[in-house]
Amino acid sequence: MANSLILKVKNLNVELDGEQVLEDLSFDLKKKEILVILGPNGAGKSVLLRTLLRLLPFEGKISWVPSSQHFKNIHIGYVPESFVVSKTLPLSVKEFFQFKPVSQKAILEALSWVGIKASKKFLEKRLGTLSSGQLRRTLIAWAMVDEPDVILLDEPMVGIDIHGRETIYDSLVKFWQKKNQTIILVSHEIGEVCKKADKILALNKRRLFYGKPEEIITPQNLAKIYGSAISL
Amino acid sequence: MEVQFLYSLIVAVFIGGVAGYLGSLMITKRMALVGDALGHVALPGVALALIYGFNPSWGALLVLAVGIFLIWLFEIRTKLPMEALTGIVFTASVAIAFLFLPESKVSTALIGDISQINFWDTLVSIVLCIITFLVLKKIFSKMILANLNENLAQVEGINTKKYNFIYLVCIAVIVALGIKVTGSLLMGALVITPAAAARNISRNLSQYSYGALIIGIISCILGVLLFKIIGLPAGPLVILTASIIFLISLFFKRR
Repeated sequence: MANSLILKVKNLNVELDGEQVLEDLSFDLKKKEILVILGPNGAGKSVLLRTLLRLLPFEGKISWVPSSQHFKNIHIGYVPESFVVSKTLPLSVKEFFQFKPVSQKAILEALSWVGIKASKKFLEKRLGTLSSGQLRRTLIAWAMVDEPDVILLDEPMVGIDIHGRETIYDSLVKFWQKKNQTIILVSHEIGEVCKKADKILALNKRRLFYGKPEEIITPQNLAKIYGSAISL
Repeated sequence: MEVQFLYSLIVAVFIGGVAGYLGSLMITKRMALVGDALGHVALPGVALALIYGFNPSWGALLVLAVGIFLIWLFEIRTKLPMEALTGIVFTASVAIAFLFLPESKVSTALIGDISQINFWDTLVSIVLCIITFLVLKKIFSKMILANLNENLAQVEGINTKKYNFIYLVCIAVIVALGIKVTGSLLMGALVITPAAAARNISRNLSQYSYGALIIGIISCILGVLLFKIIGLPAGPLVILTASIIFLISLFFKRR
């Protein structure tokens, strides 16, 4: 069953405030695949993720297999693009994780996968006092901690330094493979992420390219996606 | 100790505790002044109760149910901020109340009177407080998560509309009950002040929410005891006690 479909998107149209944001988009995703969605700013990448999560109204068909009729039967984790915590909110890292029914062991393990050597002291820190990089890593760990079937990540590495990114990606990909998770990741960087992807979806309101990274990531295609020549 | 006083004290303690706990959620959701506003929304009900001689809480609850339903409905229809909508409904309510509130009852309506409370009112208040507390405890972490990031909460299967509605009902119940203790003018402080004091000194969510509950209880015990000793109205004494605790908390504020 490893190669069976987990997501089918057909003729997806999304209109927000009278503006067409996604147009006639179709693609499939298999279980255990890592899909990276690329595109310039305003291409509709985040909107696509939120539509897949049923957070926005849409036309067309989104089927999460095997439970197309019961969206709730599929367990999805989500890392939103913006996540701000008030500095004065007395919410500890541990309490943040305990919004989900998870053990302390699972919390520490999830944090270690994103490169945080978590101590008891870290768990007692206020979420609002973490640095932006730490908060981002914590949020990724939060999405993974209860081992969802699919994880949707929207610009997960924003605020994390360049050196950190590669190690985290290495670590995350290992974790995802180990847990048989399907990943959909939005990014506008084309470096380290794409090398680890199984599929790339290049988007600018409509589908521009869809396929394996080595087929998609060519200078000519990138120029079409971003509107000017970019090289790796 | 006379039975009547004991009733007053027990009712105040239960209401103060749950109001503090609720307040910790309201401050987080930046809805601190909603308690205040709803206290005013309830005024026509309080006025009716004072005229016809029944417990102001029940009059308040009836009017609040209508008021909150309107606010909730307006929010869905207009997407205007809830505070703006609350502002419209609360000023209209005050205007209505002052059309028929007798002058002799104004003080009771505005700052409360807990000295006359019978056994059944006490019992019903306690039961409502316990139920409201249990409901709030159940929805508390979901509400905090939804407040942190609504999309994240929805992905976790939290029906934010439903929980917001339950939360508003809890506010209505506590405001209605609190009006008996502090009156409609001071009700807001019963939810804000203990929670604000707790927020100053707490490190995490459970210290914060239960701290607010405990400070609410302490304020009510001290306030009602002072009322017994010096004979000034209980409502203002309760609120002033909470305010003093808030001032003390400033010295222990965590950075």
